Amino acid sequence: MWWQWAHWLPLAVLVPLGFGVTTPAVAGGDGGRAWRWAVLGSALAAATTLALVVRVAREGPFSYAFGGWNPPYGIEFRFDEVGAFAFVVASLGMLAIVFSGRYAEHALDPARIPYFYTLLLLDIAGLIGFSVTGDLFNMYVFMEIISLSSYALVAVSGERTAEMAAFKYLVLGAVSSLLVLFGIGMVYGTTGTLNLADAARRLGGVGSAVPVAVAIALMAAGFMVKSALFPLHVWLPDAHAIAPSPVSAVLSGLVVKVGLLGTFRLYQVVYRTGIVDLAALDQLFLWLGAISIVMGAFFAIFQDDIKMMLAYSTISNIGYIVMGFGLASKFALIGAAVHIFNHAIIKSALFLAAGAIIHQTGYRRLSELRGAGRGMPLTAAALSVGAVSIVGIPPTAGFLCKWYIALGAFEAGRAAFGFALVFGALFIFVYYIRMVNAFYFQEPVHADVVHAGDPPLSMLVPVWVLAGLCLAMGLAGKIPLTFITPAISRLLAPIGG
Amino acid sequence: MVAGAQTSWVVPAAVFVPLLGGCAAGLSSAWSEKARRLVLSAAAVVTVLLTGRVLVQVSSGEVLEARLVRMTPQIWVHLRVDALGALYGIVASVLWLLALAYSFGYMADEHRLPRYYAFFLLSLGWTVGVAYSGNLLTFLIFYELFSILTYPLVVHEETPEALAAGTKYIAYILVGGSLVLLAIVYTYFLAGGQDIGAPLLNAGVAKGQLLAVFWCFLAGFGVKAAIVPLHGWVPDAHPAAPAPFSAVLSGIMVATGTFGIMRVVFNVFGVELVRDLGVGRWVAYLAAFTVVFAAVLAMSQDDVKRRLAYSTISQMGYVTLGIALLDPDAATGAIVHVANHAFMKGALFFCAGLFIKRLGVRSVRDLDGASKRMPLTAAALTIASLAMIGTPPLAGFVSKWYLGIGILDSGQVWYLAVLIGGALLAGVYLLPISYRMYFKEPSAAVVGALSEEGGSREAPFTMLAPLVGAVALVILLGICAAAPFLPLEVAKSAVEGFFR
Repeated sequence: MWWQWAHWLPLAVLVPLGFGVTTPAVAGGDGGRAWRWAVLGSALAAATTLALVVRVAREGPFSYAFGGWNPPYGIEFRFDEVGAFAFVVASLGMLAIVFSGRYAEHALDPARIPYFYTLLLLDIAGLIGFSVTGDLFNMYVFMEIISLSSYALVAVSGERTAEMAAFKYLVLGAVSSLLVLFGIGMVYGTTGTLNLADAARRLGGVGSAVPVAVAIALMAAGFMVKSALFPLHVWLPDAHAIAPSPVSAVLSGLVVKVGLLGTFRLYQVVYRTGIVDLAALDQLFLWLGAISIVMGAFFAIFQDDIKMMLAYSTISNIGYIVMGFGLASKFALIGAAVHIFNHAIIKSALFLAAGAIIHQTGYRRLSELRGAGRGMPLTAAALSVGAVSIVGIPPTAGFLCKWYIALGAFEAGRAAFGFALVFGALFIFVYYIRMVNAFYFQEPVHADVVHAGDPPLSMLVPVWVLAGLCLAMGLAGKIPLTFITPAISRLLAPIGG
Repeated sequence: MVAGAQTSWVVPAAVFVPLLGGCAAGLSSAWSEKARRLVLSAAAVVTVLLTGRVLVQVSSGEVLEARLVRMTPQIWVHLRVDALGALYGIVASVLWLLALAYSFGYMADEHRLPRYYAFFLLSLGWTVGVAYSGNLLTFLIFYELFSILTYPLVVHEETPEALAAGTKYIAYILVGGSLVLLAIVYTYFLAGGQDIGAPLLNAGVAKGQLLAVFWCFLAGFGVKAAIVPLHGWVPDAHPAAPAPFSAVLSGIMVATGTFGIMRVVFNVFGVELVRDLGVGRWVAYLAAFTVVFAAVLAMSQDDVKRRLAYSTISQMGYVTLGIALLDPDAATGAIVHVANHAFMKGALFFCAGLFIKRLGVRSVRDLDGASKRMPLTAAALTIASLAMIGTPPLAGFVSKWYLGIGILDSGQVWYLAVLIGGALLAGVYLLPISYRMYFKEPSAAVVGALSEEGGSREAPFTMLAPLVGAVALVILLGICAAAPFLPLEVAKSAVEGFFR
């Protein structure tokens, strides 16, 4: 079958990488041509990753050994159910790039536009690579590709505030990368291997648990900075709010997940070896997750800037997922893993819709955007669908995570955290109600908001595809849930099983 | 799957026809008024027919069901109709039809009609969905959608007061909804995702957990059912909302909370288990307190709609009391009272709306002598008030009769004092309105209305017809209470199932 061709896996990374690097050359200074080239590249990446997803659904996880050098000696790409995040990355990346066409024309210096697409494609390539890599060092390399392109993307508008935000992001990002690299080095030092599966095998026979525990602690800390878990979140709101909207969608939906995905990979390595008791880490995740949910929502309430609000809401949602990790019961982990995907979709829908509104009206504060529901009915409706979904109203995509993680909390005997989860979501609703009120029910302040009109189709279609997915992924929740379950079952399977 | 349940297209159709009608209404901004009304009425009438057909089939002992979509590997979104659900569905669709017809007149000169009609019909779809839910997840989905997507109706007037009331509404409802979500997740964790039918939980579960689930459910639904002290949103939301929506808000939405409590007591726990847990007593205390407390507050309200809102709180207390007594007759009374109350309160809110529209009067004090201007409305208000008090042979009497019998059966005689006291208080807060309308000299507002145009200020036919329809139902449900397919018979068959 077409999806069984072995080379899809390296291609999934090489396609966006290649297209990204060649964009400035192909474009020759023409922003429109750069856009078309980037759309093509991301569409091909999406098609490639789709083949991978089909294969993993039919056959289970599979590997690719570069140059025929089998692991643990050669470089390995390994694709499992969690790696299907690569498909989400490619598809959402494509939508963000499609959306960027008209947005970038307006928001960016024309000379920078080809490089903007290069950076976006590099970011996507890095994310896909991070999802599919089977070895620790490449994980670090891809993480750096993601981080560096992200710093640049935040700063791409060239405004002073954007540079400040990017610098803040860079400093904390560099620290977190360093922590992760230290951790990786210690794993290599104790096991003598960088391959994930091999490391998992060898860790069982390691004599002293202390270096392993330190390595886990360093990597977990580094990853949590990347994921902006409270109190390591300080870089996120500025970076995400100031970046151009399609970039915010990629950063908030996809890039913050690097830390979560990395933590999951870390779990896959150490969970079953039994060498370190992870209970303390779980406990930490549980509490920090719960605090993140509440604090993220709490800060969001006081924001007037619509993108700032969305950025804080990301912190809250990362809290859900980390809490799911911390609960470490089957339902909670399934809920957390599925929310990694669903949050990417929902948050992209929100940021793109918000971007469309900002693009059309030129305002970004709620108090100025009153009446946007009348001016841009379709965009505002999409934003409302996203809001309902991220709050977790059934039957939307966000609900599944609430249902599963709450179920997981009961399963783990930590009912209080189920309580925190559900009531944290209430806080979140408060600020979305403010948004809905401003858009639909309050007297408009600026006449141009009411007469703005919906954006061009190249922006509206991605927004509505994502908003539609917010609904569909909830109603058809069975599909992602059954898809992800084998990975969780393998993770939790008894040792030797 | 339960043996004997048969898949029927009518069940999902009854949910989706109003939803589609609502979507059509949302897109109707470019349509002529006539075309919009036609589509809306068609959707509402078809819904009544479909829910009617479901009721007839269910009454003949069939169980209808339909599976919609598989949301998680374990649970379907699943509709399954029993007698209680069928009754609730038809009551909702008939009241909605009346309120829709009333809206045509009432809302004619209001703004943003497509939005209003869209959410109005959507909320009917969600309500029928709640009534026909086959498992708790489905129930939760429709319940939450119903709670949240009515927000645009509460704030429809877009005045600062309406927005404030809306915020209060959404805050209460979301807290309640979250508690319901937690309780449903917990139930799912303990019992799995079976269909609503035989009790889900059993005595095998630790008592502490059962109590936690029960009170979580009760607090959650109690917000919707306006059990004191969780009733805060009701008196604010009703005056703020447009009158036809107030009618369904009071008649059906608040009652949905009690519907949820019925599901919890009869289907999630089962009568036996609730009795073993010994929680019925406490719920009954709360309910009895609600009846009296809200009735006392109602007396001092000057705003007509606010007074009616407190009356709703008090009447829903009756329903909760009827459930909490765990007696077949009391339960019958409770279920019938939901149906009767819907039409009585609907009629009363229709009257209140007419006062606002035709006389510009919101306060009781200004209604002096209004019967001279609006004789039909005054008569309707009086009949509905008498029914609410429980005067035979009107609808309210039937349900209170059964509640009374249930109280005596269960041997907790002092609740009879609550029952009768509540009825007396209803007389004290409702009859003065009639008294003022008939026997007082016309007030300034009424005289003003007279001097402007002179003669009758009676509403046009489109608004009077639904009012007369609701009053006719109030009379019919009293006089012919025992006829087949009317609430009493259906409630009895539902209760038989619960107290087997």
